[in-house]
Amino acid sequence: MHPRNTPPAAAAGTATADDTEFRVLLDRLSDKATADYYNPFTTFDWPPAIPTDGLWMSPELLSVHGTELFDELSPAQLRALGRWESVNFYSLNVHGIRELLIEVTRRVHTPGFELPSEFFHHFIGEENDHMWFFATFCLKYADKIYPDKSVRLPEAPRDPDVENFLVFARILIFEQIVDHYNVQLAADRRLHATIRHINRLHHQDESRHIAFGCRLVQLLWQRLLDGGLDETARLELRSYLGRYITTSMESFYNPAVYRDAGLANGFALRGRLLAHPARQAAHAKVLRKTTDFLHRIGVFDARH
Amino acid sequence: MTMDDAIKPVVDWLREHNPTVEEIPEDLDLIENRLIDSLGFMEFILMLEDLIGRELRLDQIDVNQFRTLRSLTDHFLKE
Repeated sequence: MHPRNTPPAAAAGTATADDTEFRVLLDRLSDKATADYYNPFTTFDWPPAIPTDGLWMSPELLSVHGTELFDELSPAQLRALGRWESVNFYSLNVHGIRELLIEVTRRVHTPGFELPSEFFHHFIGEENDHMWFFATFCLKYADKIYPDKSVRLPEAPRDPDVENFLVFARILIFEQIVDHYNVQLAADRRLHATIRHINRLHHQDESRHIAFGCRLVQLLWQRLLDGGLDETARLELRSYLGRYITTSMESFYNPAVYRDAGLANGFALRGRLLAHPARQAAHAKVLRKTTDFLHRIGVFDARH
Repeated sequence: MTMDDAIKPVVDWLREHNPTVEEIPEDLDLIENRLIDSLGFMEFILMLEDLIGRELRLDQIDVNQFRTLRSLTDHFLKE
């Protein structure tokens, strides 16, 4: 391996063609972030309530869509499920953002992250805003945020360059999955205007974060390859990211949500739904951009 | 219900997620031996919650309670 904490794009003075191109992208994204800036605390019109006899989630995005259960549930049951699945979706955002804020804040203005640090400030500020409006939606209209069930167990520390790659790959995967939902929810005229608004604004900001994330992950991956990443380590990273993607999709199948929606045996239902071919096909659709990207840069191979 | 019956769904889950593992001694460190890792922990918690019939507050748990079958039994599966 190369020296620890190799810059994702080398610091000024040792600029490469990659750095120049990365710097141009960062300047463009920072300018766009400044131009698109909004005050989240004054932007939203928070109505006193979101009617529960309307749709909170597009039926096509429900965890039961495409399965026999979707046809068996009454319109009222589907609305209830949609309400709680939307609260779960925003709760997942709150917890995912906490994790990425911790990781990005840990790296801003540290050696190796000189180039992206300016953009990190936009990123951190915007993610803080997103966390606030998602949490506000959950607490104001559902009086709860579903708790985070993930725990970081004690594990052997990784090489810092590998860890940097995985951190930003996880952030990108999380953002791309969420963005698939944001785009559909923002465009769905059946949903309440406030629901469409938060999803539209999130998508607007996330499109910049995703453009940034794709480039950074590609650079970090290239640095790992240039540093002599061996085949065993490569397979380990592929396997880890494959499992991370699977786990991320599984978090949309929350037994507590099924319980709140009045559906019995939530954990067993989760297992049945996850094994359903229609759900696997739905996941492939959600993940298409992510898996295409990871294949294109060579993280995944034909086996994934 | 005997202790073995109570822990059986946990053992089944561990075997299903670790197909190469045969015997799981009750004092084997499940975390150190990577039968449970950070990515698999959420599913493991959901399975355990389903088994005991209540939600666990993860901000209040001690990871060591999840280290062995014996510890899981002592902390979560005793009447």
